[in-house]
Amino acid sequence: MSNIVLSAKNLRLTFGAITAVDDISLHVKKGQISAVIGPNGAGKSSLLNCLSGFYKPSSGMVEFEGEDITNLAPFRRAERGMARTFQGNQTYQSMTVRENILSGFHNQMSSGLLGGLLYWGRVQKENAHFINLAEEIIEFLELEQLRNTIVGELGYGLRKRIDLGRALGLNPKILIMDEPMAGMNTEEKGDLARFILDIRDARNIPVILVEHDMEVVMDISDEVTVIDWGKVISSGAPDAVRNDPKVISAYLGGDVA
Amino acid sequence: MLPSGVIFKKYSGEEAYLVTRPQKLVFALFIVALFLFPMVSSTYLLGTVSFMFITMIAVLGLQITVGMAGQINLGQSAFVGVGAYVTAAMAVNYELPFYVAIPIGGLAAGLTSILFGLPAARIKGFYLALTTVAAQVMFPLAISRLPRSWFGGPNGMSMPSMELFGYEIWGQQGIYLINLCFLIVFATLTFNLQRSRTGRAFIAIRENDVVAPVMGINLVKYKILAFFAGAVFAGISGGLYAYYVTYVTAEQFTLWLSVIYLGMLLIGGMTSPLGAIFGVIIITLLQETTHDIGGFLSDRISFLDESVIFPATNIVLGAVIIAVLIFEPNGMVRRWRIAKAAYRIWPKPHG
Repeated sequence: MSNIVLSAKNLRLTFGAITAVDDISLHVKKGQISAVIGPNGAGKSSLLNCLSGFYKPSSGMVEFEGEDITNLAPFRRAERGMARTFQGNQTYQSMTVRENILSGFHNQMSSGLLGGLLYWGRVQKENAHFINLAEEIIEFLELEQLRNTIVGELGYGLRKRIDLGRALGLNPKILIMDEPMAGMNTEEKGDLARFILDIRDARNIPVILVEHDMEVVMDISDEVTVIDWGKVISSGAPDAVRNDPKVISAYLGGDVA
Repeated sequence: MLPSGVIFKKYSGEEAYLVTRPQKLVFALFIVALFLFPMVSSTYLLGTVSFMFITMIAVLGLQITVGMAGQINLGQSAFVGVGAYVTAAMAVNYELPFYVAIPIGGLAAGLTSILFGLPAARIKGFYLALTTVAAQVMFPLAISRLPRSWFGGPNGMSMPSMELFGYEIWGQQGIYLINLCFLIVFATLTFNLQRSRTGRAFIAIRENDVVAPVMGINLVKYKILAFFAGAVFAGISGGLYAYYVTYVTAEQFTLWLSVIYLGMLLIGGMTSPLGAIFGVIIITLLQETTHDIGGFLSDRISFLDESVIFPATNIVLGAVIIAVLIFEPNGMVRRWRIAKAAYRIWPKPHG
């Protein structure tokens, strides 16, 4: 059994004449934080959306735990243990913090419409059981004070944390994060970086993230892939990537040395 | 906000709606009072309240489809109609008792709604509203063209009276009690649904239908489920309605009625089953009052006859709905919560 959890193989995604993702291959290994970086419009988010099933790649393959999932709908990928967080505010605004996190447990729960309507003993027990699990995540993310607060009343940084909590509710085998640090202040970034490291170390969930904040990316990730114009221009350990002349030229402009 | 001094020892305790003993007591007394109401009420008032219960079940269903799951439905009264007709057919053609005929009517309405809920898999907003209006338009056409032996064709159907254990349920009192029992059951079901896995999935779809599938929610399945559940409630309401008015015709189930249902839900508050109940009470009171005032005026002022009064009452109704949308878009439920919180922190407001 290889230790590759998620891999993209020769992914290509075109919108009309524009090629957003051009023959990208990358692998996320167990126990690793992989980062995808690149200048604006490089195709990072398109790549992520191919991985989580929002876009169907024009060609190429997405493999998850050795199985081809290229054509699976997003909710089927979630069933298999793929979770993701989103750019910006994408929590359920009118729900409380705990309900948001509880909604992440959807696939692990089993009660249906009739059970929900009648709310008999078994359904109550199931609900209580998953509330306890949700509380573990609440504790992990240090949201105890806010568990019954409506999410719409909270600040941006906290909402991002709840978004993360909801994804953890899926009990995922991989976590995809789309620009988790965007719009946060230094303190919030520090907190979130700590959570991401804990997710890798304590919860053993590999993470693939797209991020703009170089400092954070270089600090926390085990492997960095740099893309520009839809192509991988460099990949490897953070230090190697940092000094790659191709990367420097992509970010700062100028000729490729 | 919780009453003062309430401490939960288990997380599951927080799921309960009634937590303190006084709350439970007051609620029980309220239910008992509802059951004793026929002893003190006039027949007219009893009929009005009884009809309110029937409407509440339909609006509670709408709360599931529109309020929880966020799928707009402008065809609720057509589903009420399907329920009424199927119940009538069961009661007349097969001589089934009401407690069998009405659930069959509910189920039939639910299954019909799947047909019109299917487009929700692909479209939303205005476009979905239009497909549900299609249900409303097709309903009277279908009823009048189906074989006469099924639903009586254009003539409609006359209902037998309800029978329970060989006794005929007679008069406004009996029907009131039956309607009350049905309402209690279906209101409980709606409140339950809200805090369950399925209810959370519905709310997730309403709040963010891009994120919900990534969290493992099958959008198509849950959207159709929301239509189905809402329409089953409508069908039950229709069955009760058939017994209440004793005669069903296709003209009773209009688009106008669907709009009124939606107006009730808006005024009460979409996001809670309580909103459905509040909305029905408020609109019914309003309708009764404007009707009375209209009658009073038309008796005394010669140019105000029926042709002026009926549209005028609807204008008042419309104005109230617009006013609520402007001043309290979250409906009366929010006002109710604010009042409750204010009561709980009185006399020393803090925070």
